[in-house]
Amino acid sequence: MAYVGKDIPHDSAIGHVSGESIFIDDIPPARGELLCDFVGSPAAHGKLISVDIEEAKGVAGVVAVLVAKDIPGHNKFGPVVKDERLLVDDVAEFLGAPIVLIAAENRDALREAKKRVKVEMQPLKPIFSIDDAIAAKSFLGPQRVIARGDVEKAIGSSEYTLEGALEVGGQEHFYLESQAAIVYPGEHGAVIVHSSTQHPTEVQSIVAEVIGVPFNKVTVICKRMGGGFGGKETQAAQPAAMAALVATLTKRPARIVYNKDDDMRFTGKRHPFKSWYKVGFDKSGQITALSIDHYSNGGCTVDLSLAVLERAMLHTDNAYYLPNVRITGQVCKTNLPSNTAFRGFGGPQGVANIENIIEEIAIKLGKDSLEVRRCNLYGSEEIDPQIAQIHADSEEKNLRKSAQSADEISSRLETPYGQIVQNNTLPEIFEKLPATSDYEKRRQEIEQFNRRNRWQLRGMSMTPVKFGISFTKRTLNQANALVNIYTDGTVMVSTGGTEMGQGVNTRVRQIVADELGISYDAVIMSATNTDKNNNTSPTAASSGTDLNGAAAADACGRLRNRLAEFAADFVFNDGEAGIAASAENIAFEDGMVWDKRRPDHRMTFEQLVCRAYIERVNLGERGFYATPGVDFNRETGKGHPFLYYTNGAAVSEVLIDRLTGEMKVTRVDLLMDLGNMINPGIDRGQVVGGFIQGLGWVTTEELYYAANGELMSHSPTTYKIPNVGDLPPTFNVALLDNSNNTVSLKRSKAMGEPPLLLGISVWAAVKNALSYASEGEIPKLALPSTGERILMALTSYMKERVAESA
Amino acid sequence: MRDFLIIYVNGRRHEVRGRRAFQSLSHFLRYDLGLIGTKVVCAEGDCGSCTVFVGRHEGDKLTYRTVTSCIQFLYQLDCTHIVTIEGLKYDGQLNPVQQAMVKCQGSQCGFCTPGIVVSMCAMFEKKRDVNADDLRGALVGNLCRCTGYDSIVKSGLAVDTTTLRRLDDLYPPDAIVSDLIKTAGESVRVTDQKTFFKAVTIDEAARFRAENPDCMIISGGTDVGVQMNKCLRDPRSILSLAGMQALRGIEVKDDAIVAGANATIAEMEAFTRDVLPEYSRLLYYFGSPPIKNAATIGGNVGNGSPIADSIPAIYAMNGEVELVGTSGSRRVNIHDYYTGYKKTVQKPDELIARVIIPLPKAGETLKLYKISRRKDLDISAFTAAIWMRHRGNSIDDVRIVYGGVAANILRLRQTEDFLRGQAFTLSNLQHAGKIARSEVKPISDVRGSADYRLQLGENILTKFFIDVSGTTSGNGNGWNDGNGNGNGNGHSVDPTLEGIAGEVH
Repeated sequence: MAYVGKDIPHDSAIGHVSGESIFIDDIPPARGELLCDFVGSPAAHGKLISVDIEEAKGVAGVVAVLVAKDIPGHNKFGPVVKDERLLVDDVAEFLGAPIVLIAAENRDALREAKKRVKVEMQPLKPIFSIDDAIAAKSFLGPQRVIARGDVEKAIGSSEYTLEGALEVGGQEHFYLESQAAIVYPGEHGAVIVHSSTQHPTEVQSIVAEVIGVPFNKVTVICKRMGGGFGGKETQAAQPAAMAALVATLTKRPARIVYNKDDDMRFTGKRHPFKSWYKVGFDKSGQITALSIDHYSNGGCTVDLSLAVLERAMLHTDNAYYLPNVRITGQVCKTNLPSNTAFRGFGGPQGVANIENIIEEIAIKLGKDSLEVRRCNLYGSEEIDPQIAQIHADSEEKNLRKSAQSADEISSRLETPYGQIVQNNTLPEIFEKLPATSDYEKRRQEIEQFNRRNRWQLRGMSMTPVKFGISFTKRTLNQANALVNIYTDGTVMVSTGGTEMGQGVNTRVRQIVADELGISYDAVIMSATNTDKNNNTSPTAASSGTDLNGAAAADACGRLRNRLAEFAADFVFNDGEAGIAASAENIAFEDGMVWDKRRPDHRMTFEQLVCRAYIERVNLGERGFYATPGVDFNRETGKGHPFLYYTNGAAVSEVLIDRLTGEMKVTRVDLLMDLGNMINPGIDRGQVVGGFIQGLGWVTTEELYYAANGELMSHSPTTYKIPNVGDLPPTFNVALLDNSNNTVSLKRSKAMGEPPLLLGISVWAAVKNALSYASEGEIPKLALPSTGERILMALTSYMKERVAESA
Repeated sequence: MRDFLIIYVNGRRHEVRGRRAFQSLSHFLRYDLGLIGTKVVCAEGDCGSCTVFVGRHEGDKLTYRTVTSCIQFLYQLDCTHIVTIEGLKYDGQLNPVQQAMVKCQGSQCGFCTPGIVVSMCAMFEKKRDVNADDLRGALVGNLCRCTGYDSIVKSGLAVDTTTLRRLDDLYPPDAIVSDLIKTAGESVRVTDQKTFFKAVTIDEAARFRAENPDCMIISGGTDVGVQMNKCLRDPRSILSLAGMQALRGIEVKDDAIVAGANATIAEMEAFTRDVLPEYSRLLYYFGSPPIKNAATIGGNVGNGSPIADSIPAIYAMNGEVELVGTSGSRRVNIHDYYTGYKKTVQKPDELIARVIIPLPKAGETLKLYKISRRKDLDISAFTAAIWMRHRGNSIDDVRIVYGGVAANILRLRQTEDFLRGQAFTLSNLQHAGKIARSEVKPISDVRGSADYRLQLGENILTKFFIDVSGTTSGNGNGWNDGNGNGNGNGHSVDPTLEGIAGEVH
């Protein structure tokens, strides 16, 4: 039987539900183990004048109090640019930047010692906002451009134009397990690091540099994370490096676990963006030209900001063909913790912008935004006759669509960066979802409701996603996997993929079981471990299964071939029965092995590997995979960065109280194309979980800073992620039947990030609702659309009306 | 008097002495007992990952309620039976809730999962035949960042309820209860740098308080527990009233709710469901089940936060606080009780014994509003309580109380003066809103800007009118029913208005 395609429970589910799964701080303390914490900068921007650690050192139970000069290796590091310091040695660039590292035998001593550290700083002028950074020309990296055509000219000759700016807020990852690491000192300077990280190799390299040993002396292990969402791609390295520093200098095991408040205050988040746009369009709503300048708030160091910005630029088209376009992007340097990867990685910010523009075009033209979206969609190469018929039908129903011949549609395929959109399933999604969600009927009801009801407002919008799958940095599109077969027929697999709940381990197990024709239970996944898998890529960019699953499949393929040859030669080769050795005829299925020409003559997989071992056949294999054909030139803004796109759309409807600004999502219909799913249960969980995370980003999750740059929304009391009550009361999730994604593993599609971007439909629905109250004026709405923002917008329309009537 | 605590964990008895008695329950479970299934994320009771059962004996029974173990300290838990995620399997096998969570992909990263499983098991302790709304109510305090909750709700609906067993079945109560009955009548005092005293009678509590005027009084501890975890408070002496029988109980007496200070918010919510449904509805949004199971009405009043959800209604109904001290008891009108930000008229030896909330009479209406960033489990940006007595279509008397607009809960006397004697019309309420706006001076903070709060302060009176008159077009006048309980939902956007279904597919 095949396991791929089955809804198999998550690899760790039994441990999770019984509380037996081990996370970092669940590892029992080792003899002599120390707890670590740090004292950070009291100023968001300041020059370090002096640090007095003498009193802290004197606290009973305190074993080490360390500052920058105690670091034996390098204090400098960074994933792209080495502009970060583990411990501040001169200028602190964000509030809380670690200055003093303390290790103690118990929590009370740690708490007491922290209080006794004295730090003197000379404050420097901080910058927090994008506007202030632009004014001060405080930037990180160069401005990037992706462009095609003569945008100025095209806008100038457009029938209609609109311009404006959109502010998009950041987002806290709110993984439940905080940043954490335990480090055990070994012989001759070696260390073993247990880290809650999406990127063990990066932790390995940074730890090695900080403690001053070669990479091969650092082993990093990640069994699982209690959530990652991008927040542990680069920023798991700092706590691990701190614990490694303590372990190296004290020769004792060291543990560091951030408390939630510190984790939220001192680690990076999704990048806030501010973007200025100018768009030209015709009376049908079709965009003729778009000029948009993105500025992201990168925080104080580069981290992954350049790549995040790049992906935002690469997703500013979202699902729409932009004939003339100029997208620029610039990262701003501010005095906040360095912003970092977060599920979607810039894509959501790019998409929020174009969807905002589409809503505004619709309001300007008095059209339904769905109509505007339809006429801007990328075409599909082959127009299914059935879909063509639906097009014709909808025209009859006066669902006006800009007239397009099949030729025109197929020419509308080139992205601003030059990649041709292939196998585009969005036109199909745009036919199916409005029908299944009863869009037209509900639109009429909403219009009637809003005319009738003075105290409440309804709004609805459908937004799509076309998410590019692959790291835009070509190098990272590789993976290796190790598959070991033991003589009892069981298999252990290790890959560079890290498990954070998304199910990469479950899927890899399914793939390996199928590839070797053995039972799922016979396969287990090892913790991710840099001494088994070297030079791993981060588990990020939705690529975990695509890359690591393919590498594991590669290893399995080679093992199976070798075993088939062995079986053909040594087991099933039977001259008397007229069966000559033929590896091609050896079948592996359900834990059994046989020659297809003699199906009654079978042996178990276990028997075969036992025989093979006795005959000295290698029963372990390393697999490797490198994504073919992807490349992108960031200097020219052109290339083919993505192997394929994952598509989907969501229709969201909201209900707003006009007097309080309170908003409720009343219904969501979501349709995604995930190809042939490897695990429909887990994949569906990614879709729903991603959507709700996106919903949080666009509605209630707001980062609120004090004037000194301190994050005030630093715990669940003040930072509100969705809870169970935010699950829409009607929530229909459907998946498109699509087996055409031939370029990916098992014709599946990656789905870690794409559904998050569908949360934008909720924000667009709010904007749509406001447009009924603003009476023709285009409502300006920042993201997230908090109750406060909604109420203040509604209030301003009422005031204007009062002023007009007076 | 004992100098140690008696706490059962998963059926096993523990005596906790000295310093160890001052730690939080989650810390004790994880680091003293190695029960690492209980996870700590926020350490402020707001995420639910650390949810466990606390069983207290009531008569010869053990009654189990969930609490967030991060903000429960051991000294609040003398003579209880704690059941953790590790104690919920049936004979070493996954229980039906756990099985359903596995089958329906109810967990992803797994960090919130133990808390979810405990909360779900608690729901089934009370009720077997559950629907999606029951699950939403039960899980309101459990944050999950991975699943989006859909698969968790589906897991709950898929539980094989025929094979469920009760905690009393897993942990036969007789032996535990007989031990607790013997020991629960003992007061406890533990000193190790700090001192705590668990009082059994009001008298000895008042005496301890008089001797230790700076002591921190704790019962449910849902606020002070957070402050201690976040190093905002480090009391040298602690008076625990948790579980004190004399302060429990709720009754209706002389047309008023009389609630013992130790009545939990959960008990208040249940008790008022019939006698004062508006209050019950508001208390539903007070917090999650584990918080409402621990938080007490006396604690909420005594803590005196300007955004405490339980208090505006007490103001609007002209309620009283009964204080008891070494020299007897007295009742103080709630309007005279607070003297400043978290300051009260309470004397050093006094404790809150009871809270008295008069019930609305015929012709009187009470409406309560809570506006927060997230509907469920959030601290209010703004609260309001409006009580009105009408004669015909005119306003005979009115009390308007706002929270979140000043250092204390605020009575809007100018607005009231304007409304008294006026006709109950939209335009009068809208005008009253303008006066209300001028009467409050809110600040900007993480929960909302001053402008936002001003606008809410203005609009809420219009909303009151709409809720009471039951109009959607906004032009209706007058009361929609005689009993003064308007049909509008006082504190939420009501998704049922247009008949939107409540099903999850």
